[in-house]
Amino acid sequence: MERDSTTIGILVVGTGFIAEQHAAAIAASPRARLAGLVDISPARAAAASRANGGVRWSTDLSEALAWPDVDACVVCTPNDTHTGIATEIAEAGRHLLIEKPLATTVAGARQITGAFAAAGRVLMPAHTHRCYDYARTVKDAVESGRIGTPEVLRLAILGGWIWPDWRGWMLDPVRSGGHALHNGVHLLDLAAWWTGDRPETVYARGRRQTAAELEIYDYLEMVVGFAGGATAVCEMSRGHRPTRYARREMLVSGDAGLLTLPWDGEAGEVVDDAGTALLPPGGADGFAVQMAAFLSAVDGAPPLVTGDDGLLAVAMGVAAERSIATGEPVAVAEMLQAAA
Amino acid sequence: MTAPLRVLLAGFGGLGTQDHQRRMYLPAFLAHPGFTVAAVAGDGPDDERTAAGLGVPYHDGLDAALAAGDAEVVSVCRPLGARAGAVEAALRAGRHVLADKPLAATAAECDAIEAAARKSGTVCLPAHHHRFGQAVRSAAAALAGGRVGLPWNIQADFLAAGGDPCPDGELANFGVYPVDVLQALTGLPVRRVHARLHGPAGAERSAVLLMDHDHGLTSTVTVGRTPAAADGPMAVHTYRVSGTSGVLTVDAAKPAATVRTAGARRGVWHGPDTVALLLTELYQAITTGRPAEIGPADAGAALRVIEAARRSAAAGAPVETDGETG
Repeated sequence: MERDSTTIGILVVGTGFIAEQHAAAIAASPRARLAGLVDISPARAAAASRANGGVRWSTDLSEALAWPDVDACVVCTPNDTHTGIATEIAEAGRHLLIEKPLATTVAGARQITGAFAAAGRVLMPAHTHRCYDYARTVKDAVESGRIGTPEVLRLAILGGWIWPDWRGWMLDPVRSGGHALHNGVHLLDLAAWWTGDRPETVYARGRRQTAAELEIYDYLEMVVGFAGGATAVCEMSRGHRPTRYARREMLVSGDAGLLTLPWDGEAGEVVDDAGTALLPPGGADGFAVQMAAFLSAVDGAPPLVTGDDGLLAVAMGVAAERSIATGEPVAVAEMLQAAA
Repeated sequence: MTAPLRVLLAGFGGLGTQDHQRRMYLPAFLAHPGFTVAAVAGDGPDDERTAAGLGVPYHDGLDAALAAGDAEVVSVCRPLGARAGAVEAALRAGRHVLADKPLAATAAECDAIEAAARKSGTVCLPAHHHRFGQAVRSAAAALAGGRVGLPWNIQADFLAAGGDPCPDGELANFGVYPVDVLQALTGLPVRRVHARLHGPAGAERSAVLLMDHDHGLTSTVTVGRTPAAADGPMAVHTYRVSGTSGVLTVDAAKPAATVRTAGARRGVWHGPDTVALLLTELYQAITTGRPAEIGPADAGAALRVIEAARRSAAAGAPVETDGETG
């Protein structure tokens, strides 16, 4: 393939289910081009290649990084591989959009941010929720000053769909970092982004609701205390029943007003033989918005999410897991210092 | 129906500028067929005028009013420092009592009131009126019937809109309401509390209470005051109960119709409001002789949770509750 200097060539590393959304965002962007696929499984890589027009693939990241038209990477491999893969990409001088969490440990996240700072390349953790309409709406409402300084925030994403079976690496706390790292960071990042304040403490409670044998907490309640005094109650659940249950609810109480985003605030409702459900909410495609932000960052714009944002989310997630274990609030600064 | 029960309005004070007697209980007593307002015990000319307006005798102070003997029921709305004493005096005089919330300044005072009520054999009902709301009662019945299986988490929001900030803090002011509703919903004592306060402790605007109950149930309450809003004095009052087989959510402002006018949107109760239902509970307990659904011990249980929350906020860490909390 001839190098096309008008578009940014992107290598997708890891071809699990979330890779499809990134590939679709690349395909939908006039500024990006899918430059190849990498997966340690040749079967998965080949299948993903066929689904993407026969784009070249490899099981070897080093080999793929040497392809001449790779400008940037999207990494969507299991969480515990992020540090090694991201470091190699930084050292190869490529830009990176990486699935959350940035890493499963604060030390790993620091290694990544350090490597990209040294390489002078863009590092953007994929805290995709920042790109969803609902989250941008809340951010805009807070930034406009209409509700004043936030004092109490509620962020709840509740579901009943636990990952398919015991082979799912998300269920392995060593591979995923635990649920606070794997999914909890979405809400921890939003709370920090919305308030624009420094998180000081995390007090968390967790449950293994779906099965006693779970090694992760499928229900998480993570309460973040901010330096300015605000409190954010963040619930992330895959443990609700019935299993089709799905709710997203947000509340921000500020000193000048109150914002609420109820679960049925985004779409029409349908009642049929399967019960009551919401229709899909239209609106912007978060993955496309995220890809556009990443491409702009590669072109020199400030990234929507920085490496330090990703590092902070990891520290908050680690603090949440620690708090569940100890039953006490955990200082985020201690988590950051321990790995410094 | 027997003759209406005669009510003595004892005091028109509360926390800060509160006058729940005039704003809440007096209109509810006047509207309720089971009661008639018979006398006023007050502190001065304003209260004397209230008595004159109602066409009932005015007594200078509670002792004189109790001695006059013109009421079976005493509605106590004294400032918090004088509240427990007034409640106990009414009970000692053999009267039934409706007491503004919180029933007393401390849980220990509630214990003394409980002892006085046992001795008098009369009803002492703390005005935890939100547990009597129709939506809350319906939810409590559904939970007790196993509708969502075994509850394992409750998230509650109690955010009032507008009004005068309470100088003693909104945790002291509103905190017992949602904590008491959690008791009505689950019956499970609180063993551990972690709390965060917003604003100066003792004058906080809002609080978040994270509670551990028996059987591993966890609950979280946000409680406080938000700025005034066009849709009325209550911004949010909801409970979400997650159980082993389902989820139950309650908007405690229901059942209500919504009335929209220029610049305002108001919920209008259909059916009796929570204060009217509180008075019905008082009436039925007095006239049938059955125990009221709650008494001073329940007020003490709720206050023990609030006291633990204050200790937790001061310590910056969770604390165990002290004594009976459910």
